[in-house]
Amino acid sequence: MMQAKEIMTQDVVTVRGSATIADAITKMKDKGLRALIVEPRYNGDPYGIVTETDVVYKVAAHGHDPKKMYVYEIMTKPCIVVNPELGAEYVARLFANTRIRRAPVIQNGLLGVISISDILRKSDFVEKPKSDFDRYCEENPGAREARMYD
Amino acid sequence: MKASDIMTQAVITISGSATVAEAVKLLKDKGLRALIVEPRHSSDPYGIVSETDIVYKVAAHGHDPKSMHVYEIMTKPCIVINPDLGVEYVARLFSQSRIRRAPVIQGGLLGIISTSDILRKSDFVEKPKELFLEDRIDVARAEARTICKEKGDTSPDCAAAWDIVEELQMAASDQRSKDKEASEKSSFEVYCENNPNAKECRIHDD
Repeated sequence: MMQAKEIMTQDVVTVRGSATIADAITKMKDKGLRALIVEPRYNGDPYGIVTETDVVYKVAAHGHDPKKMYVYEIMTKPCIVVNPELGAEYVARLFANTRIRRAPVIQNGLLGVISISDILRKSDFVEKPKSDFDRYCEENPGAREARMYD
Repeated sequence: MKASDIMTQAVITISGSATVAEAVKLLKDKGLRALIVEPRHSSDPYGIVSETDIVYKVAAHGHDPKSMHVYEIMTKPCIVINPDLGVEYVARLFSQSRIRRAPVIQGGLLGIISTSDILRKSDFVEKPKELFLEDRIDVARAEARTICKEKGDTSPDCAAAWDIVEELQMAASDQRSKDKEASEKSSFEVYCENNPNAKECRIHDD
């Protein structure tokens, strides 16, 4: 199974919670990104994220002026973060269970962002889907059928 | 701005009976995030299958995309957008129904509109458009009448309440004139463009 760090996008841009939404939109447009990461403000502060969807659902949908609203008003913080070693299939499962589409990959700092597009485009779930037997063996490593003979 | 002004016209369709592996290949090859499932007959609705459907319902469970079909994971019928719907209402519809993209339909499939199109191509940053101004004017007017009745027509509270009504009315007329500018020129403007020397079209500076 491929790991999060193998398929994540390393190109990641951060924004401050105190920036205006208009500034965040400019950054997204300029860099062609769908989300920006809000860095912790001090040691122990969590990561946050602000996405295209947040901007459209919470600002554009109400006709609010993006120049007069701030990232901290619409961001998700703390946000769900992914460990770089987590398998792509488990990232997919985590995303499905929590209904999210992207998350920062963190280990001693921000390494990248992983999204459903990364899973669809870069992981090998089409070529190597896990079979029911594989899953049975993983769940029951002691079963007779799961034994490996060399 | 209308949905048709910012929609993506490049749209690819797929049959509900195709495998998920085929859908993945199409999405990858064309760089798309969703495919439209065309109606099978005249009264059949449109459907949609997105990147999210595939990751949430196939990849997340380790199912084999080669042995699953689009009809098992698609959304059909799906929400469709009229090309004339204002962009701010598309955003509101998306927000209220928790969707991110929808086909634009009128006598056939015209395109697809997504949160990215709204963010990147609409003018909501430059010209935020307040919704339901007419409704808010009605409410403010009723409130002003009540306040003036209670506190007297010459009271400062009464004047302040009518100021609010006035401000909302100005905002509404401002938006209407902006819409008009954007949508079409008046017949007089067209006449002057065609006849720049006509007497009626001269601009006086004094």
